[in-house]
Amino acid sequence: MLFEGRQSKFENVVRAFSAELYRYAYWLCRERFLAEDLVQETFTRAWQSWEGLRDDKAVKSWLYTILRNEHARLFEKKRIEIDETQELDEVVDSGSMNAYESFEMRDAIEALPKSYREPLLLQVLGGFNCSEIAGTMNISEGAVMTRLTRARLALRKLTGQATERKEKVR
Amino acid sequence: MARCAKCAALAREVEDFDARIHDAAMVPVPEALADRVLLRHKVREPARFGGFGFGIWALAASLIIAIGVVIHLHRADIGDEERIATSAAVGEGHAAIAAISYVLDHEPQLLKENVSGDPAVMRSALMRLGLKLPAKGTTVRYLGKCPVPSGEGEHLVLQTPFGQVTLILVPEQSLGPRVVVAYRDRTAAVSPLRSGSYIVVADSLRAVKQLEQMLM
Repeated sequence: MLFEGRQSKFENVVRAFSAELYRYAYWLCRERFLAEDLVQETFTRAWQSWEGLRDDKAVKSWLYTILRNEHARLFEKKRIEIDETQELDEVVDSGSMNAYESFEMRDAIEALPKSYREPLLLQVLGGFNCSEIAGTMNISEGAVMTRLTRARLALRKLTGQATERKEKVR
Repeated sequence: MARCAKCAALAREVEDFDARIHDAAMVPVPEALADRVLLRHKVREPARFGGFGFGIWALAASLIIAIGVVIHLHRADIGDEERIATSAAVGEGHAAIAAISYVLDHEPQLLKENVSGDPAVMRSALMRLGLKLPAKGTTVRYLGKCPVPSGEGEHLVLQTPFGQVTLILVPEQSLGPRVVVAYRDRTAAVSPLRSGSYIVVADSLRAVKQLEQMLM
């Protein structure tokens, strides 16, 4: 009975969050099969630790944290070091040429450094506030706010440049 | 804000920009993703419940089965090295040949379409055959139906640490004695079980056996 209750709660959680976790995973690894693997692993680990979950309201941020850790664990060796002091101009200049093509916003998000992209996606996809993002990323709330602002500025600049480029071509 | 036209315009512009970010971030999600997560979870879950006493018995039973499987696979390994049949030996209509052809000719399109079948049906088929999906490192990429010589089988495409492997479950139907066939760069093993049969198709005999080991 207890197992069934736990099981059905778990099923509801999988149905409620698998899509948004997939999208988050996709933006972390940018490979769709890998993103699905990450989601599968996240729920496997979540089930293994299900009994330790005290607060039902925390389940969403808990899943995001598991997924984030799982991604870091799998890609630790491949991970590109993030320069926390990177300036906005460097971000924009380092963007790929794809950022100026048709799917400009998607490419622009992709061109953002991970340190900017991650809090932005946690906010946009997960609907988390600054304090929750700070908890998930293990950084200060102030740093989250700065990164969110910089991410949006970078996106404006990147998408603006794409438009300018298109107009020049015409 | 409402009184100042410039402020209102700015607020609208900020909202529009955020909506664009949101739309761009909403990449398409593969169909039946939640079903696949639950399928993998449920198939292996029954073994988890029960108390401590049950756990001990389950562990003991698992050990006995594992030893049996190792001995069986060891024997099969020695035998299969000599018994990999060709299409000419088993005939074009054999289940192994049909399975390899289906995998090579239809599976890429099925994966591309990303439409999956009912996980409950698949789960029931696995349970009826006494098989379990690997608990770790394996993802169900596709589940659906596929033709087999005796009718219809349950078709699973699994992404495993040793590559993509196809598993076709044929409950309640016999496909004859165990046969391993090499055809069109693929290897297929057709194996009878007490309550039906299964077919595994992979790019090597090693991968076929690795999956079989995980299923038992």
